[in-house]
Amino acid sequence: MTFRLRSGKKGLELRLHDLEATIMDVVWGKQLSSFAVGDVLAILEKQRDIAYTTVMTTVTRLYEKGILERERDGKRYLYSPKLSREEFLQSTAREVLDEAVGGHQAMAMLAEKVSEASAGELDDLEALIQKRREELDA
Amino acid sequence: MIEATFPLLGTAFVVLIVLPAFALLAKAGLVTLERDEAGGPLHGLNLRYVLLTGSSALPIAWLLSAGLHQAETGKSALACLFDHDTAELCFEPGFFALVLAAAIFASSIGVVRKHRGARASSTDAARTLVRRVARIIASDPALAGLHDRVVATDDVGFALGTHGLLKPRVFIGTDFAARLSDEMLASALGHEAEHLRALDPLRYLILQLALAVNPFGRFLLEPHAARWRAAREAHCDREAVIHGAAPLPLADAIVRAARPGAREAVALGARDTAVLRLRIGMLLAFSERTPARCCHQGPSAFPVAFVLLLIALLLPHQTGTAALDVLHTGAEHALTYFWR
Repeated sequence: MTFRLRSGKKGLELRLHDLEATIMDVVWGKQLSSFAVGDVLAILEKQRDIAYTTVMTTVTRLYEKGILERERDGKRYLYSPKLSREEFLQSTAREVLDEAVGGHQAMAMLAEKVSEASAGELDDLEALIQKRREELDA
Repeated sequence: MIEATFPLLGTAFVVLIVLPAFALLAKAGLVTLERDEAGGPLHGLNLRYVLLTGSSALPIAWLLSAGLHQAETGKSALACLFDHDTAELCFEPGFFALVLAAAIFASSIGVVRKHRGARASSTDAARTLVRRVARIIASDPALAGLHDRVVATDDVGFALGTHGLLKPRVFIGTDFAARLSDEMLASALGHEAEHLRALDPLRYLILQLALAVNPFGRFLLEPHAARWRAAREAHCDREAVIHGAAPLPLADAIVRAARPGAREAVALGARDTAVLRLRIGMLLAFSERTPARCCHQGPSAFPVAFVLLLIALLLPHQTGTAALDVLHTGAEHALTYFWR
């Protein structure tokens, strides 16, 4: 499962890049309640060529986004997921939905002065759809 | 005092004062609902609809019923007893109801005339499109409700729209359909299926009528009505995706329907920039995560509106028509004051 969600301004940062999503898949899939960078690396190395520093950087980023928490264990950190997969999906789905259709911002959009979309604006929208299609295909 | 005073002045008072006052109250409710940040444009759609339409329909229903009630019983209204000396019968409330009904009818004609669908075509292109649509519907159980309810039209510039009040049908322009892939067409039909299921043409017509009969109050409510319509379109997008429509092909179809040339205003929604941006943004998000029904919609709008209308019609017969008497005496006293 790949998480490619829209970024939010508050709460969880919702966009998980591919490697972040892969690592969280490993953490949740293997039910790693407490793990070091090396533990994830050992699993990922079986699937692909990957450097320790890449995994460490990504795990740190997940910690900074609030998806993982950590505690010091000697010279290393032990990480654990803050949320279960279901809790994460629920919160992200909610925030994606809020971002897409809810809240004051969306209502403010509808309150804008009515103006018929120009050909250029429609082109931009089509380009946006095409871009998302390519992202999903990739 | 001539007998036409109250029917004419009372109707003018209703149009100039009563309906705008109710529109103001409805606007206060709508602003409160729309400012609820925990909600958003898709929340409280039914309640917002009841406020938009009820602010015109309910006072009119009450006044018509009260006027007929006073006329049918033959009982004199207070104004007749006090101002018309010994008159035993007072037909003025009945005439008032008639004039009010005539005013409503006159303001509704334009709306009803505009509300007509395209004509069905039987050309080769139309028959080919009908076969194509039948194949798409047969392959998607979510579109089963559209069986025998889709009509092709060669009407130039017509894109896609649902028409018909009690038994709505989906009309598709052959030119427009030719620009869509099967996946886009299936998603667009999913959107229209929700309009069809919810009898949206009837809802939209009632909303337009409610605004048309309130020519002064409509300025207060028109922006909220536009937002409600946009939200309704977005709601149908979301329902279509929940029922299996592909979000990105639907987004593509929406943008194509907004291209110049398609005259159908309800073709997959409007052409307004802000509305399109919102809906496309929503569908892009749905392409990553299938939406769930985010909120409790409450009881359906139609049963609630029907019950409220029934109450408004029955109330004068049960609790009296004092408000109509106030309107009656007020109108005649006002005229006397200005003529003095």
